[in-house]
Amino acid sequence: MAALGARRLLRPGRRWFSETVPGAPSPPAGPLYPPVVASITAKSKAAKSRRLQRFNQRVHAAATVEEKLRLYGKLQRPKYMVYPQTFALNADRWYRSFTKTVLVPGMPPRAAKPPAAAAGTTPEAGRAPEPGAEAPRAAEAPEAAKTPGPAAGAAPYISMGELRSLACDALLQESFYQKKKRPFLYRDQDHTPGPFLTQLVSTLAAFLSGRNPLLAASSLDLNPEVNYYWHHGEEVVVHGHRKGRVDPVRFQIDDNPHLQIRVPKQLPEVVPLESDLGDVPVIDHKPSKLPLFKKQYENKVFIGSKVADPCCYGHTQFHLLPDKLKRERFIRERLEDQIEVVYRSNGIASLFAWTAAQAMYQGFWSEADVTRPFVSQAVVTDGKYFAFFCYQLNTLALTAETIKNNPRKNICWGTDSKPLYDVVEDGNVKGFNDEVLLQLVRFLLNRPKEL
Amino acid sequence: LFAGVRQAQWLTKTKLVEGLPPAVQGIVDNPAHGLQELEERAKHAVSHARLWDTAEVAPRREQYCPVLFENLIHICRLMSGKYPSLSKRMLARNCRIAATWERESILLQVRGLSGILLNSMTPIAPVASKEEILATKEHVLETFYPIAPTIDLQEVNVYKELNDTGQCFGDGYPYSHPHTLFFLESANTRTDRFRPEQLRAKMLMFAFGNALAKAKALHGNDPKVLEQPVVVQSIGTDGQLFQFMVFQLNTTDLVSNDGVKNLVWIDSDQNLYEKAQCVPEVKKRVVMKPAGISGFQPDTFKKFLALYLHGTV
Repeated sequence: MAALGARRLLRPGRRWFSETVPGAPSPPAGPLYPPVVASITAKSKAAKSRRLQRFNQRVHAAATVEEKLRLYGKLQRPKYMVYPQTFALNADRWYRSFTKTVLVPGMPPRAAKPPAAAAGTTPEAGRAPEPGAEAPRAAEAPEAAKTPGPAAGAAPYISMGELRSLACDALLQESFYQKKKRPFLYRDQDHTPGPFLTQLVSTLAAFLSGRNPLLAASSLDLNPEVNYYWHHGEEVVVHGHRKGRVDPVRFQIDDNPHLQIRVPKQLPEVVPLESDLGDVPVIDHKPSKLPLFKKQYENKVFIGSKVADPCCYGHTQFHLLPDKLKRERFIRERLEDQIEVVYRSNGIASLFAWTAAQAMYQGFWSEADVTRPFVSQAVVTDGKYFAFFCYQLNTLALTAETIKNNPRKNICWGTDSKPLYDVVEDGNVKGFNDEVLLQLVRFLLNRPKEL
Repeated sequence: LFAGVRQAQWLTKTKLVEGLPPAVQGIVDNPAHGLQELEERAKHAVSHARLWDTAEVAPRREQYCPVLFENLIHICRLMSGKYPSLSKRMLARNCRIAATWERESILLQVRGLSGILLNSMTPIAPVASKEEILATKEHVLETFYPIAPTIDLQEVNVYKELNDTGQCFGDGYPYSHPHTLFFLESANTRTDRFRPEQLRAKMLMFAFGNALAKAKALHGNDPKVLEQPVVVQSIGTDGQLFQFMVFQLNTTDLVSNDGVKNLVWIDSDQNLYEKAQCVPEVKKRVVMKPAGISGFQPDTFKKFLALYLHGTV
């Protein structure tokens, strides 16, 4: 009763208060109740999406890149192991569909280099003589024609003879001059082509470092490790205690290139970010039909060295095909068209893993897509035949939700494999192919436009 | 080798000089070579090898020792942008060396995998002057009586006296002069690695073997005093400590104890860095030692580079 009386007294009191403070709104500015959202722990689709959102926010808000990578790969589930060097038939079509890559045959169009100013030289124009370019020039200056540099202070143009002699020396050193034991069974590649590739790349890189300041600041890794983990597409879990749930399809690439060059500055983009140069193949089968097998282990993302390394962008990778995938084996089994597939699948998978890992080291991931394209190059060889690849990563958003409104595609330019030489006998290299060496030198000289 | 460098000296009839020869020291001190800017790169090379190279927390010695060596050689090789004659070098890995000589009626032989060898087209000029070479005549080789000099050496029946450095010399091999030998002690356990003293002795023996094989190939098998001494350098490391050595072969007449002796300059136990901390050491929530390389000594890298550049600069 006293309460009723108090309330009756209060009501005129309230009006009395409102008369003294006219026009002051009493309810608080925001809503009275917390927002109505799905629960976190319920077994419902809304709860699952809320949990996913919370996870995405956690990764977005991570302080350092290492923390981001740790959270990104925290949950371990069975995933498909994608091997870049594989004997699977038509593997490059499957890999293109997993990584949303467009394959463009041939090499990317080279942007016009700035004209030879006082200090700079145009290695393209100055490569005298360029074989296959202009016959009269080649006829005039067959061998080591060191045309004098334009102005004082400019380095002389490189001559094909010098490069050729470097390459031939490396080849002869490994195959002929150095006394080695017989190669181990099925380890032919470690005996001669492996050391030859190491020698060739290290001497060429050192030789060209005067011309390409990016190479002068580069870091050479022997037998590094490159890993990348991503989701693409969705599937229904087949058996086990999680049977029936819709899960993203997880992939992991663990790659060991023979040699790689990492640089502190990024290579320039080849085409703009949103360009569309072809179609990505769509494959209706499950990835396990390739064949691809699942395993559950640590989700690693690694470019060859940790995040603290200043050389965090990639320049060129060199891959050596193992004995299992040599050409004679394919020819014997009448699968000649698969020879090129081996080179292509190796190039696409390795380069995708490398560029995507570089992008993750800069803080991008599938929810935070790249704002600039990441470009890297690779050379796949079996010791004699060389195939060149250039990859531009335009998008990391390959998961089922993010791929819906994503028009961007990754692009890979690739050539067929060509032999560098015909045969080595008696201390002579017969049938040396200058074009392949030229392409290799062009790869090594690639650098950002400012330098 | 039991008594280390002293025993190796007796076996190869060599006189020891402490420190690096003046020619190499001149390259180290010469500021024109731009060795200051390379300090930063050398520090990155060490950090990469010791800290960043692996996805695990800390790489093991078997991994970081070769990686450190490759990184340092890469920096040295990149100097060939400045000195084009540096491209006339070729690195040979896993080369096998064999050399035999007689020493006071004991037949000695050096055989085995000598690590990594750097060959060059042009030989290194002799480091010691003629007077110094003649002065070694007076030097008496120290013996450690009562221990015989051949202690700890394996006695084998030799059927073929071999002399070669793993490469075919006569076939017009362009890089025919051994320049530098590199030894990497990269075993994980300390007992498998050579101690510094023994590492220096091993370096001396192999450098001598290479020089002797080259001298015999150039001047024939007769023992005599060489007109053009053969110089071979050698660097040994276990990932942190570096041993530098320059060996000059003055004579192949090794049977007697008198006469002109060979010369070796040794700079031992140079630390490239004090400690490489992979994870910061934290005691009671306070960071005691931050992660990174501490105590980096650029002089050691300068000496490495100087030995690499020696002969072309």
